[in-house]
Amino acid sequence: MRLSFEVNGVRRELDVDPAARLIDVLRDELGLTGTKEGCGEGECGACTVLIDDRAVDSCLVIAAQVRDKRVLTVEGLARDGELDVLQQQFIDHGAVQCGFCTPGMLMSAKALLLAHPQPSERQIRVALAGNLCRCTGYGAIIAAVTAAGRALAAGGEAWGPESAAEPAADGEASRALNEAGVPPVFGGLLSADTPAAGDDSR
Amino acid sequence: MTQSGLRVVGRDHPIADAALKVTGGLVYGIDMDLPRMLHARLLLSPVAHAHIVGIDASKALALPGVIAVFSHLNAPAAPYSRYRILPGQALCPEDETLFTATARFVGDRVAAVVATDAQTAADAVALVDVDYEELPELLTPEAALREGASPIHPAGNLLHEFDQTVGEPIARRADAVTVTITVATPRLHHAAIEPHLCLADYDESGKLTIWSPTQSVFGARTVVADLFGLSYNRVRVIKVPMGGSFGGKQEFILEPVTAFMAMATKRPVKLVLDRAQCIAGTMVRPATVSRVSLGVSRDGRLEDVDVDTVLDAGAYATSSPDYAGMMAHKLTRLYRVPHYHHHGRVAYTTTPVGGGCRGYGAPEFVTALEIAFDQVARELGIDPIDLRLQNLVQPHDIDALSGMSLGDARVRECLERGAEAFGWRERLRTPRGDERRRIGVGMACGAHKNGILSTDFPDFSTMAMKMNEDGSVALSASLHEVGCGTRTAMALIVAEELEMSPDLVSITEADSDTTPYDFGCFGSRVTYVCGAAARGTAAALKARLVELAALVMQRPAHELRAHDGRVEAVVGPAEYLPYGAVVMAAKTRLSEDAFVHYTHRATSNPGAYSVQFAEVSVDCATGLTTVTDFLAVGDVGQAINRLMVEGQFVGAVQMGIGSALCEEVRLDDRGRPPAGGFKTYHIVNAPDMPKVRVLLVEHEGDEGPYGAKSVGEIAVVPTAAAVVNAINQALGTSLADLPVTPEKIVAALAQGQGD
Repeated sequence: MRLSFEVNGVRRELDVDPAARLIDVLRDELGLTGTKEGCGEGECGACTVLIDDRAVDSCLVIAAQVRDKRVLTVEGLARDGELDVLQQQFIDHGAVQCGFCTPGMLMSAKALLLAHPQPSERQIRVALAGNLCRCTGYGAIIAAVTAAGRALAAGGEAWGPESAAEPAADGEASRALNEAGVPPVFGGLLSADTPAAGDDSR
Repeated sequence: MTQSGLRVVGRDHPIADAALKVTGGLVYGIDMDLPRMLHARLLLSPVAHAHIVGIDASKALALPGVIAVFSHLNAPAAPYSRYRILPGQALCPEDETLFTATARFVGDRVAAVVATDAQTAADAVALVDVDYEELPELLTPEAALREGASPIHPAGNLLHEFDQTVGEPIARRADAVTVTITVATPRLHHAAIEPHLCLADYDESGKLTIWSPTQSVFGARTVVADLFGLSYNRVRVIKVPMGGSFGGKQEFILEPVTAFMAMATKRPVKLVLDRAQCIAGTMVRPATVSRVSLGVSRDGRLEDVDVDTVLDAGAYATSSPDYAGMMAHKLTRLYRVPHYHHHGRVAYTTTPVGGGCRGYGAPEFVTALEIAFDQVARELGIDPIDLRLQNLVQPHDIDALSGMSLGDARVRECLERGAEAFGWRERLRTPRGDERRRIGVGMACGAHKNGILSTDFPDFSTMAMKMNEDGSVALSASLHEVGCGTRTAMALIVAEELEMSPDLVSITEADSDTTPYDFGCFGSRVTYVCGAAARGTAAALKARLVELAALVMQRPAHELRAHDGRVEAVVGPAEYLPYGAVVMAAKTRLSEDAFVHYTHRATSNPGAYSVQFAEVSVDCATGLTTVTDFLAVGDVGQAINRLMVEGQFVGAVQMGIGSALCEEVRLDDRGRPPAGGFKTYHIVNAPDMPKVRVLLVEHEGDEGPYGAKSVGEIAVVPTAAAVVNAINQALGTSLADLPVTPEKIVAALAQGQGD
């Protein structure tokens, strides 16, 4: 299948298997290995990328779904050699340890800040609910996203969405996100059995 | 509070490779490709116990792109231990093979397909037909140790047993109390977000090279070289960036089998596991059950401790005999007690393989001990912290078990300062919550160690350092960065000692061919032992610079000192040379080099301590527990990198809360874990994680660099107990079967437990 889409601001034309997973197209075809696979089932969030400014698990998206869309990966966060404010705050706050969850964590945070430049702590926690980290306990990550929001409010350099996030999909997970004021996702970023979605059956 | 006079140590420093990690630029093992590389996929047993009576690989081999299918039919059958780091090491039963002829758990390695791409390998695995002749499952130590149970290995199912006694029983008064409680800790998945993987290449010269996110390159080399009869110089193990380990990559799980496939195919091979394979097929923190009896006087003095532990090793021995033994090494680091007896048994079962995990037995033992302590406090009607204060060790006590000093052990200070900061006494006095939502507080103390030095085993580390012509330095050391900033900590130590910027210090990771010997990154030894080696190596280089400068300046060395990036005269005519100028002059005028090596030999193994405080809210209707506040206090001696020391505590609390409330590799009645990876194995995520405050108790006085002690393992030791004690305080229950799930809470309340 001929696939045309935009990756990190660059138009790409590829011949791909229509059933190929987006993560494999990014990593294997385009060499964008910053996007990591931690589970392959949409639970850990390490493979999170943005599609038209929304955070999705690229392990659950097939290539055909990104036709004519804009995909942003961790490699596209920095612009003109300048780190995105989120990247800098992650560094400064010690939000990076082993780093394997970091790309996905950054992309979920990016989607949040694009939609809500001044998120509450609760919004941050919910936006990161589908991104698992085993090193940091999330505290430094939440502090970094908070600080990035403050830096944006103070007029820090940042680049914004090229189109406004659109509402909505159905389902419990989307409602949980909407209540927190976070744009809905597709691709199962927050699945129904994620604890944050109110499940108490663990 | 950092010691005065320190310039870089003790401050906040982002880790050195953070910029690489936030841009996606760091190349992990999973991102590596080698020319002509093949991809391997494992076939793991779907049954818990069976003879493998037939393997038909013909359909898999017929698939285009499949290069080979390996199993016990065409691979060496020599047994090995994945845990052994030294030739002939004790307590390392060799009971595992590359591919098994008898499946001993759901997840055992049965076969592997090697193909030109990963998808083909995965497709082909599904085409391998295996004929299993099933044997009875033995899913618990109780079942495996029952009279007449069929042996999982020829020597029987009791893998290891020990009895350990310290002191003599004392005469106890009639009003003394004894509390006995049985505490179970679950089988845990380490849950590093990076899956297990390994790459290997065997070239025409007969050299085997392995790239692995391992915690010990020399250990991996030992196991692989001995297995294939290669001399140690023919096996090179290179540590690659690691996306988390927590002990799950300490032992050599994939290195032997990947090396074999590379040798057999004469092509580089990359083996990556998926999450479900990581959970079932690598190793788990072993499940333990401990019956703890605490004999305490009416006024709260610990008089007698008796513990009986059964550890579920799973299908292969690995580190379990050592691990169980370590559980019995924690009590006397934490409490003074006249008499302590610990009986331990380690059993094979047909379940996932147990192995090293953060804390190495300390969290399991301390969970049991500290839950029991709270039951004693309740029985005596005294504040749990007063009960601990009556019995905790004092600085410079001798560990009654090891005979070694506990060093400047500040566990009391941790408790006292923590109780103050948490508002413990007020919170304990003031019941809050309502009939449905109960709020409780709990605390626990924990002890761990600093390295692997004992009276019969050494600990040391060797490093080398050179200074470049511009005055920057390179430390050559067998470090294994697990992600917590090990190399950054070493750079800070070197920079502090040499009085220069850490930006001018580069630090290697381990490469068994090129870096000096070190046991590896485990045993809470890296900061304490390797850090001291880094400091000693830097001090040696500093002395060497003075020696070289004296030759260059043609004046006695005692007139000079190295200070602030230069060698300068302290008496006599004023003159100085920047470090780089000393090195250049030494090279060009003296044919001398600014190169040193140094071996640090540990002479102590003091206690590492943490005291932690939790507040929980328990919904009595649903049984759901929320941790609403958390304080972790740590006796770290001296924080090297404050930012990352605090990060270690917060991250450890995430693991500890998970082990208390929700994490468990559950098995069904046939020994099968549930399908799915993180779909069914829940670790605590951002919304469920409380704010964690960290309070560090710092002091000089121990042998680590600038007084630093270990952090990464001790940080998780008391967490689960603090959470469970808070639940029991909230409900008036005696819950002790971890994880304390909503179902168990509701059941306990329905049975009338609680107040």
